[in-house]
Amino acid sequence: MRVLWMEKGKLKEFFYSMKAFGELWGPIQKGKTRIYGKAENFSDLKLEPGRTALPIKKLIHPSKFTMFKYDKQEYSTKLENIPRRVILGVSPCDIHGLLKLDEIFLEEEPDPYYEKRRDNTAIIGISYCKPCCDSCICQSMGTDVVDEGYDLFFSDLEDFYLVWVGSSLGDDLVRLNPAVFHDDIDRTKLEKFVECKKERDKLFACSIDMDVLPDIMELSYDSPIWDELGDKCLECGACTMVCPSCNCYNVIDEVYLSEGKGKRFRYWDCCIFKEYSLVAGDHNFRENRGERLRLWYGHKLNSFGPYGRPACVGCGRCVDACPVDINVLTVARALLESK
Amino acid sequence: MLNKKRIGIYSFTGCSGEQLVILECGKYLLKLYEVVDIVGFPMAQSKNTIMDLDIALLEGSITTESQLAELKEIRDSAKTLVALGTCACYGGIQSMKLGEGDWKKRFQEVYGADDKLYNKMKPMESKPCNEFVTIDYYIPGCPMDKGQFLHTISHIINDTPPHLYPFPVCTECKWKENDCLLNRGELCLGPLTRGGCGAVCPSHNIPCVGCWGPAEVTNMPSEYKLLLEKGYSQIEIFRNFRKFGGTPMVEKLKNMMEKLR
Repeated sequence: MRVLWMEKGKLKEFFYSMKAFGELWGPIQKGKTRIYGKAENFSDLKLEPGRTALPIKKLIHPSKFTMFKYDKQEYSTKLENIPRRVILGVSPCDIHGLLKLDEIFLEEEPDPYYEKRRDNTAIIGISYCKPCCDSCICQSMGTDVVDEGYDLFFSDLEDFYLVWVGSSLGDDLVRLNPAVFHDDIDRTKLEKFVECKKERDKLFACSIDMDVLPDIMELSYDSPIWDELGDKCLECGACTMVCPSCNCYNVIDEVYLSEGKGKRFRYWDCCIFKEYSLVAGDHNFRENRGERLRLWYGHKLNSFGPYGRPACVGCGRCVDACPVDINVLTVARALLESK
Repeated sequence: MLNKKRIGIYSFTGCSGEQLVILECGKYLLKLYEVVDIVGFPMAQSKNTIMDLDIALLEGSITTESQLAELKEIRDSAKTLVALGTCACYGGIQSMKLGEGDWKKRFQEVYGADDKLYNKMKPMESKPCNEFVTIDYYIPGCPMDKGQFLHTISHIINDTPPHLYPFPVCTECKWKENDCLLNRGELCLGPLTRGGCGAVCPSHNIPCVGCWGPAEVTNMPSEYKLLLEKGYSQIEIFRNFRKFGGTPMVEKLKNMMEKLR
């Protein structure tokens, strides 16, 4: 892998030169929250530790979108209208979230809607010498560093950036303005990188003992904890909407008034909702809220589907989102403390 | 096209907001007039009948004996009945004291103790349409959403079942990346309220007041306890729960109090 470095002041210039690829996006402020949004100016970007309300999945697997329109003769997906975007400032945990979604949407039968958006999006990751926030659990989940899933990755080392080139698209982006990159990385720069990483490792405020938790989850299938959590859960769905690895969606057809026309759209669904597990004949496989929570936390903290690994990327969004304090931290703690 | 379906819109007690929403459908309203025969629509036309209806759209809650008689006549004349808006679906804001007794006393406090008016109007405590007749589909909202109305009506006209989101307001609120008002300590009814409005109030920093009526599956006891912890009084919480909650809320509150006892 190619590693380069860049002077701190040059990022602005490089940012604008990426306009040749597509729209410029990144973390920006919207009222009280930070979101991934279109950045008209470099100064709109919040390039500092912190977390966006929704993960980057919202741009690749949107919360609601039209899949295709149809009439009696044909259907059209209009995939060619999906814009090309550069997203600067994607956190390592969000890139790990995308890698999980890639497994689901791109392996075996690739999903054309996901694939096109993924192909049209340049992911430029960034990490800092501090954790993003107090509720980050990425260190425990092993998602605080990232080896793949990005086109370029910037390590912010206070007075310069180390830049990893992660794909051929990343290389193309560098070629848009090669003058701002240097390849003469000396020992001092590497030492600064190692020192910064070590310092950051000491600053994480939260952790989960992932050595034992998956086994404890396995043994806690009949634990009364699930019913206790079910009594508390508001069933609002917030945890699943903000989760980078949640990928479930519903598909609905919209029939137009006349002429046999219509469209089909998708929107994010959520296994915490009772209707999600409702099947024909009014049967429900997960009638109680506790059972639905057990499924969700089983996926996040034990193993998800065929991939055998916990799906949680440790972003800590559920920690902030849940109004009644049910999240990966409190659930892990409750399970580890119960016998 | 085959025979056009006969559709009527009928209005009971409410603000007529649903008829206004239909009138605001612009080019889709013209399309609707093309594909169906609209035989009842008091806000838009003067000639209105209740006869051989394929689809009857109802707005408002039932508050007088004559409305009840009309509702039954509509049910008998229509193949499909759709309740439009929170009043028709759940009873609306005028049902906020449902089940608390002393209804006649409350009525006379407002309209006077004169029995002449009472006997002439034959009023009754406000209730949603499904208290008296079978309703086939519901489009909640205060007023209902134009998109949800067009979705439902198009599907029924084309003989396919409509599907409206059963999720709570919080879902769309998260999609919009709003700062959670409940987490900020506001009395927000998002988790208890039927979604579909696009979380319009929380998106403008205003807590959800529950105007789309109660979501089918909720955890009211948990939100109640949470609001008590946040310092709201029982009276204040119940008043908010009941404001737009109508008949389902009477049941939900009863279950909640039994559970908490």
